[in-house]
Amino acid sequence: MDMSAIPAAFDTVVDDALFWISDNGEGLFDALRALLEGTYDGILWLLELLPFYGVAVVAALLGWRMVSRWFGLATGVALVFCALMGLWTETMATLALVLTATVLALVTGIPVGIAAGFLRGLDRVLEPVLDLIQTLPPYIYLLPAIALMGFGPATALVATFIVAMPPAIRLTALGIRRTPREFIELGEANGLTAWQMFTKIRLPFALPSIMAGINQSLMMAFGMVVIAGIVGSGGLGETIYGAVRTLDIATSINAAIAIVILTMVLDRLTQSAAAVNKGPSGKGREA
Amino acid sequence: MDNTHNQANEVLVDCRSVWKIFGSRAAAAIEAVEKRGLTKKEILKEFNCVVGVSDASLQVCRGEIFCIMGLSGSGKSTLIRLLNRLIEPSLGQVIVKGKNIATLDAAALRDMRARNIGMVFQSVALLPYRTVLENAAFGLEVRGVAKDERNKVARAALEKVGLADWTERFPSELSGGMQQRVGLARAIAADPEIILMDEPFSALDPLIRRQLQDEFRQLTKSLGKSAVFITHDLEEAIRIGDRIAIMKDGVIVQVGNAEEIVTRPADDYVAEFVAGISRIHLVKAHSIMQPVTGYRGDVEGLPRATPETDISALIDLTMQSDRDAIAVVENGAVVGVVTTRGMLRGVAA
Repeated sequence: MDMSAIPAAFDTVVDDALFWISDNGEGLFDALRALLEGTYDGILWLLELLPFYGVAVVAALLGWRMVSRWFGLATGVALVFCALMGLWTETMATLALVLTATVLALVTGIPVGIAAGFLRGLDRVLEPVLDLIQTLPPYIYLLPAIALMGFGPATALVATFIVAMPPAIRLTALGIRRTPREFIELGEANGLTAWQMFTKIRLPFALPSIMAGINQSLMMAFGMVVIAGIVGSGGLGETIYGAVRTLDIATSINAAIAIVILTMVLDRLTQSAAAVNKGPSGKGREA
Repeated sequence: MDNTHNQANEVLVDCRSVWKIFGSRAAAAIEAVEKRGLTKKEILKEFNCVVGVSDASLQVCRGEIFCIMGLSGSGKSTLIRLLNRLIEPSLGQVIVKGKNIATLDAAALRDMRARNIGMVFQSVALLPYRTVLENAAFGLEVRGVAKDERNKVARAALEKVGLADWTERFPSELSGGMQQRVGLARAIAADPEIILMDEPFSALDPLIRRQLQDEFRQLTKSLGKSAVFITHDLEEAIRIGDRIAIMKDGVIVQVGNAEEIVTRPADDYVAEFVAGISRIHLVKAHSIMQPVTGYRGDVEGLPRATPETDISALIDLTMQSDRDAIAVVENGAVVGVVTTRGMLRGVAA
């Protein structure tokens, strides 16, 4: 038998399967698309309620409260700068994409991570799957998504969701598994129920790790959302993709700067949220 | 001899021939123990199982502080965990307040741990994300006591350990000694009858340690609690314990009060331990007195002491008098005479 027949046969099977899913699952994927785009539109609508200077002021206040006065000031100035570059609409579209995909990734990833933290067997199954997701080149996920849901934000969201989920699962599971032994013993010696053990001991100890997972998910989503410009995601990714095709270097650099600004602001904000939750040093939680 | 023991001899914890064997073939090893009475060494050789606790029996009475003293690896930490079933015994029974705890279902066991048996750990295990007050109220919170009520009780418990001003701080802001006080307050706030202390003061510096030992003893006695106190330090056991059990290689080699352990060690191992212990406060008049008939002088004019007077006080009496002996008086009758030679023998031994 000709050895090249094997990969050819494999490719045929994959293609056929994709076509079959596409033909038979049309209703399902249309519904999924509507759901994703509905969520995205909702978040974008919220973000566009305020004019650009309004958003800048809110972000500056958050930065001031959660990080430092200087960070708050820099955040406000940087966001105004995005608007001055004429990229405000795109910046908000990108932010809406990232938030939608990250929220979806967290809503699925954290519960799965908690389950994997408790169930050794589930963890063993998930581990290679997550490894695979994280080692494949990320734009691979755009292809099946575009085949099933077409050109537009929904495809970008699915691909971003897939890329953003693994850190949330991994770090949540790690946090749950790493509860110090003496505190488990404390819980047992005090007669805690399984649920109390989870809410009063395991979860609080896992929180810093879960927060780190949220931060990582967000960062992965930012990386992917730019790549998803290829499939017509809208936002800064598409701006960069368009500028690269026309060799419009100035616009591509502007859009890149806007992405860096957005990424840094959200990175620092989520990192400081993680630090606050560690407790003793967090003066903010003292009532 | 042991007042506390005799006055209130309601047995709260009764540990009957308890074994704990660790290892994959523990069940087979237990069977062999039951049938053939193997020793620890034979079990290790034949079944590759480690014997944590071997045939341990002890009773803790209401109001008593019972110390278990042993070096690391002697099985004392395993033994104390058998008392609240954090570890399941391989063989034998643990009876707490008349109930065999092996027969309790999950809910009854949780209830017993939450209400009857408190525990204080060497690592303290204060939840870092909670304030001192929230930590002290933990046991009550778990039991579903309303917030105002549990905070009130926790505050009172923190007051008892001298931390009334620290309620809103976080554990990381406290010194090691203060953290262990919070651990103690947490155990007391839940108001259990029995407190298990797992080497609570081992990690503290000597001065703080002595202070906490005295405070702990006072507090436990004034609240009328019973305690099982684990330590690797015989002096600590003597300071704190009404009775002391000495453990070696999973076996309880001797149980007795401080005086019994120090003056009549059961074997060479115990003797080696007590060699460095000062007897001046431990040895009492009744164990060094001689019969009145053997005393050649006049008993009438001698200074008097009770049978429970320790050598230190006897020396003071001797120094104040010009006589060479002290009369030991019980219920108005002279029951014996302590001579200077007797005192010296009691201290030296």
